[in-house]
Amino acid sequence: MADGQTLVTPLHFEELYQAEWTELEGLLDQLLRRKNTPRGAAAIQGERVAVLYRRACEHLALARARSYPAYLLNQLERLTADAHQVIYQRREFGVAKIRHFLNVDFPVTVRANAGYLWLAAALFYIPGIVIGWLMYQRPELILSVVDATTAASFEQMYSESAKAVGREAQGDWVMFGFYIRHNIGIAFQCFAGGLFAGIGSLFYLIYNGALIGAVAGYLTERGHGAIFWAFVATHSAFELTAIVLSGAAGLKIGHSLVMPGRLTRMQSLVEATRNCTPIVAGAAGMLLVAAALEAFWSSASWLPHLVKYGVAAGCWIGVVSYLCFQGRSAS
Amino acid sequence: MLDTVVAAETPEGIVLELHPAGLAPRFYAFLLDWLIRLVIIYAAAMIAGFMGGVGMAFWLILLFALEWLYPIVFELGRLGATPGKKAFAIKVVMNNGLPVTPAASFARNLLRVADFLPFGYGIAVVSMLLRKDCKRLGDLAAATLVVHEPKPAPRVTLDKVEPVAPVRSLTPRDQAALVALAARAPTLTGERLDELAAMAAAVSGDQGHSGSAVTHRVLGVAQWLMGRR
Repeated sequence: MADGQTLVTPLHFEELYQAEWTELEGLLDQLLRRKNTPRGAAAIQGERVAVLYRRACEHLALARARSYPAYLLNQLERLTADAHQVIYQRREFGVAKIRHFLNVDFPVTVRANAGYLWLAAALFYIPGIVIGWLMYQRPELILSVVDATTAASFEQMYSESAKAVGREAQGDWVMFGFYIRHNIGIAFQCFAGGLFAGIGSLFYLIYNGALIGAVAGYLTERGHGAIFWAFVATHSAFELTAIVLSGAAGLKIGHSLVMPGRLTRMQSLVEATRNCTPIVAGAAGMLLVAAALEAFWSSASWLPHLVKYGVAAGCWIGVVSYLCFQGRSAS
Repeated sequence: MLDTVVAAETPEGIVLELHPAGLAPRFYAFLLDWLIRLVIIYAAAMIAGFMGGVGMAFWLILLFALEWLYPIVFELGRLGATPGKKAFAIKVVMNNGLPVTPAASFARNLLRVADFLPFGYGIAVVSMLLRKDCKRLGDLAAATLVVHEPKPAPRVTLDKVEPVAPVRSLTPRDQAALVALAARAPTLTGERLDELAAMAAAVSGDQGHSGSAVTHRVLGVAQWLMGRR
């Protein structure tokens, strides 16, 4: 062979290793179920896949170093990319994973971000209490928040004559569907608003806090307090807490962008998002619970108020102590 | 400048090339997903109409599921992409080319709320147009990337050309250039192929000449380099 020529020509190279590539391709087809191949056989041959994958990586490196033709590089690139996906795939589903999330991940992550949580709670509750008190003193101010018809419909919903509390005539299931979309929408806005340097989260927390406070203050002043508070007491344990949690996650993201510290802004953002995703996932779960309670429990007008307040107290204590104490030993 | 390839290195020390999908395929994919969801919503609304209150409730729950869970479920499922993305051969992967993790899929889809602003995914469009890797805000925060599924390159087929040994030794770069030319030969016009082959005519001892005979011999050298003797 003349000097300067590669010792193994592309065709020879292909001939030498084609069998291995075909075998790997076949195994990947089984694993990815791209073709109708019998399942199960592939599970046993995991080791073989890993071996063939490493070989294919070597072949690709060789082929690149020797500048083999594009189709050959391309074939090896696709093969290694597919195998790479299969080998490094993370399976994060299953009951055990969910149990671990509820027992450890969620509450531990919440406590690790306690600072943001207190800030979000303050941003949400303080405007709520202030505006609520203001409405209680001067109920005519409600007209600067909502129009007269809406104010009247609020009163109607919580009046003694209402068949089911807190709504017009629809059934429990319909309201469940409505509450899910509505409440999760608010919580996700509080979270996603964090991407705008946290200003979106700030706004939505204060805005929703003030709005809820306004309605509460107004209805209390108008003498519907007894029914209103019995209605909201239970599900608010989950709903308001979930909104505060989402807002806290949003504030964390905003903070990571404004003050990235020693990381680049991008690294800081990615890090913060990864850190606070469990909080938002947990909050989404709490909102589902809240929607179910709001639709089926809170609205039941035949339940004595004492029972509702008792259950509400239990829920609040439960939620707070879950977030405070669950998973401490594990962490 | 124009190349948008993102390189991702694997633990095995090889570099995977990821080709980020641009605004157009992502828009088409989104449009298709949106149409699919619209059809489901309308079909469900018709069925729900017959069922009354309970039907209405399930319809609202379905609306919620389609809005928030549709992309997450498909991205994490066996398909690896929503039907729309599948149809346009694009998919979501992590920055390092790995399959998207549940947490990342969750985050990137929740952050659609921010991408949607001020209306009709305005911020997402601006972000995708400005960035080389064509990410929207959700992709940025979740460290994900929407890439084209790799397509197989055509094989070099030069069956009609008989191999010619090069008259001088060739560096690996020269060899690669010749083989690449051979691979492109079927897609070029005859004149352009002659022009390009004339530049490489030295390999078959035809410096300064051009024409189809020279081209034939240059391709013959490529054939020889491929290993056909």
